[in-house]
Amino acid sequence: MTANAHRPRRATARRKHHWSLHAGLLAVSFFMLVPFYWVLKTSLTGENIFVYPPKLLLNDPHPFYYVDVWYLIPFARYLANSAIVSVLAIVANVVFNAMAAYALTKHFRGRGLIITLLLSCMMIPFQTTIVPAYLITGKLGLLNSYLGMALPTFSTIVCIFVYKASFDAVPKSLIDAARIDGLSELQVIMKIMIPLSASAVATNVILSFIWSWNNFMWPLIIVRDPDMQTLPLGLSRFLTYHENTTGALYAFCVMVLLPGILLFLMAQREFIQGLTSGATKG
Amino acid sequence: MQNTLTTAMPVASGRAHGAALPRRGGGLKRRRELILIWVFLLPSLVVFFLYRILPLLWNVMLSFQDFSLFGKTGWIGIEHYREMLGDEVFWTSLWNTLLYIASAPVGIVLALAIALMVNSEVRGRNVYRTIVFLSYPLMTVAVGIIWRWMYDEKVGLFNYVLRTLGIIDTPLPFLQSFEWALPSILLANVWQILGFYMIILLAGLQNIPQNLYEAASIDGASATQQLFRITLPLLRPSIFLAFVIGVMTSFTSFDLVYVMTQGGPAHSSELLVTYIYKNAFELSRVDYAAAITVVQFLLLVALTWAGNRISGGEAGAVKTE
Amino acid sequence: MTSTWLRLITHRFVLIPLCIGLTAAAWNGYVSLHDGGLVRGVVLGPGGAPVAGAKVSMMEKNFTTNSDRGSTRTRADGSFEFTNNRSHNILLRAEMDGVGRSDQITLRLYFRSQNVTLDAPLTIKPGAPKNG
Repeated sequence: MTANAHRPRRATARRKHHWSLHAGLLAVSFFMLVPFYWVLKTSLTGENIFVYPPKLLLNDPHPFYYVDVWYLIPFARYLANSAIVSVLAIVANVVFNAMAAYALTKHFRGRGLIITLLLSCMMIPFQTTIVPAYLITGKLGLLNSYLGMALPTFSTIVCIFVYKASFDAVPKSLIDAARIDGLSELQVIMKIMIPLSASAVATNVILSFIWSWNNFMWPLIIVRDPDMQTLPLGLSRFLTYHENTTGALYAFCVMVLLPGILLFLMAQREFIQGLTSGATKG
Repeated sequence: MQNTLTTAMPVASGRAHGAALPRRGGGLKRRRELILIWVFLLPSLVVFFLYRILPLLWNVMLSFQDFSLFGKTGWIGIEHYREMLGDEVFWTSLWNTLLYIASAPVGIVLALAIALMVNSEVRGRNVYRTIVFLSYPLMTVAVGIIWRWMYDEKVGLFNYVLRTLGIIDTPLPFLQSFEWALPSILLANVWQILGFYMIILLAGLQNIPQNLYEAASIDGASATQQLFRITLPLLRPSIFLAFVIGVMTSFTSFDLVYVMTQGGPAHSSELLVTYIYKNAFELSRVDYAAAITVVQFLLLVALTWAGNRISGGEAGAVKTE
Repeated sequence: MTSTWLRLITHRFVLIPLCIGLTAAAWNGYVSLHDGGLVRGVVLGPGGAPVAGAKVSMMEKNFTTNSDRGSTRTRADGSFEFTNNRSHNILLRAEMDGVGRSDQITLRLYFRSQNVTLDAPLTIKPGAPKNG
């Protein structure tokens, strides 16, 4: 992090500069926050669904749309399905990515090839694989199942490189000392590498959670049972059946967005670090 | 790292086995290590093979076939590609996807302005950064529903504001009109991805050494000159990366279109990805969808290669230390 | 030793889910104490006097349909009580033969079977009723 050095000269110019910066940033913040406010307002009052002109402030807020969503939609079911798929994806991600990254820290014939292969796989977006992925999942017999939903996200290349950077940063002397002490490979990983890479693990957990939680297209393709639907599917299905003239839809939206927002606010640093360090490698 | 290990190992086994040959001990350990390496790589490689490489190849194969899930699958050569050439919806989707890509620079310029503002020493910059980035980790389906609501013809926010300001008299059916469906979706997409662009550009900005600016100030360069001579050239890798992400978004923006317009009135907001989905899973034309996917992927590769060329061939490498 | 535990607990990744879990548990506890399904109220006549023997009917409301959930009669002092409300969104209406009907009131609760006592009485109006 480069720090700007404070210079005492030209104080008035800097103050004017500050005001215009704040004004610009406030305008941007306004633009970014208006959709949140609008959906929150509709979910709490519902009065601008049929009435025009809509009032701009919250009149008479009530939480009853949220109560409707909780009881009249299988929200708990959707939540559970999303949670199960996400947990599967997170656990697999952390284990598989760390394993692959550890293997890549060693030198062996074919290492360069594997790395090139992984980097080029990053160029293949999921959306260009949906047709065969569906056929493959069908052949594996995993259609309409938790495993089938989570399987494509079991490993992510971005996170492998995040781990690799973290493992590479572990001082060699530490590992050598551990080996002389007679620790096996597995023990080296569990006792030295992973504890020193806590932030990489946190980044992996958060990134893989967000990606699998928000995943819409893949569950849409392979889920046939209404019981197996995840939150995004449930939201889309609600929109199809009830159209967008009910406050409960917006309460549903807010309830769906809350975990994502909460997680993001809680783990901002890890999230941003993961995106920048991973993205800039490819 | 490897050399110390392989030399340490034989010493240890030599000590343990007395007069044992160090090389034999090293070879055994090395083979065990190799097995370990490949075992460790295996799960990830299997996942990538099954869901990235194999689909890519299978797509190509499917595009030349007349695929049938239950009956016989036959080879029909380039029939699907011929059909594509005459398919108006395909050309509309392609054009819409290109428009989507063309909107990426707009978002990047905006994000650059925001990044420059946030990067300065203004108080509360972390709060601003959080607010701008907040939209990115959200579920795109929910974002689509929110924006669809704001675009509503009767009670939507946009119509309200525009009518109050007197810009229009009658309500504008944004998502149901031929001209406005795609731009509306583009605005929602820019809203969501602005934060991601900003983060990338911020990381690039923070890697520019401060002494360059100091030296330029001493030489009497104005802020504008510093911007165009120092900042932008050094930001080229980050800008290229943001552009690649923008291009990828236009190929993957299924959720927004599905929720907001389902492809729009008469395919006016149909993207390649939604057209592929419809062909594969609504019309059960898996082989034709595969052919379109092949074209889409080739386009992606071509655009990325061209972007790489334009940005000086560094492929978006950025120092992260 | 306790200081490591303390540091672990107050770390944001532990503290925030913990707080959420505790709040959820507290709310569920409150709900289980108050979900008897009781709905109480008073029915008044056109003049403001309590009406005995009026029929109060309850319907359960979901997104698309209203289902009938039975009825009860008011006591001598005009009060009535339902004991089997299973819903969070109900419609109530009082009527008395020969007198008239009250407006249909929508009652939205915070949780299913919440025990609730109506603030305002159901007032029977003579003539054409309004649906609310």
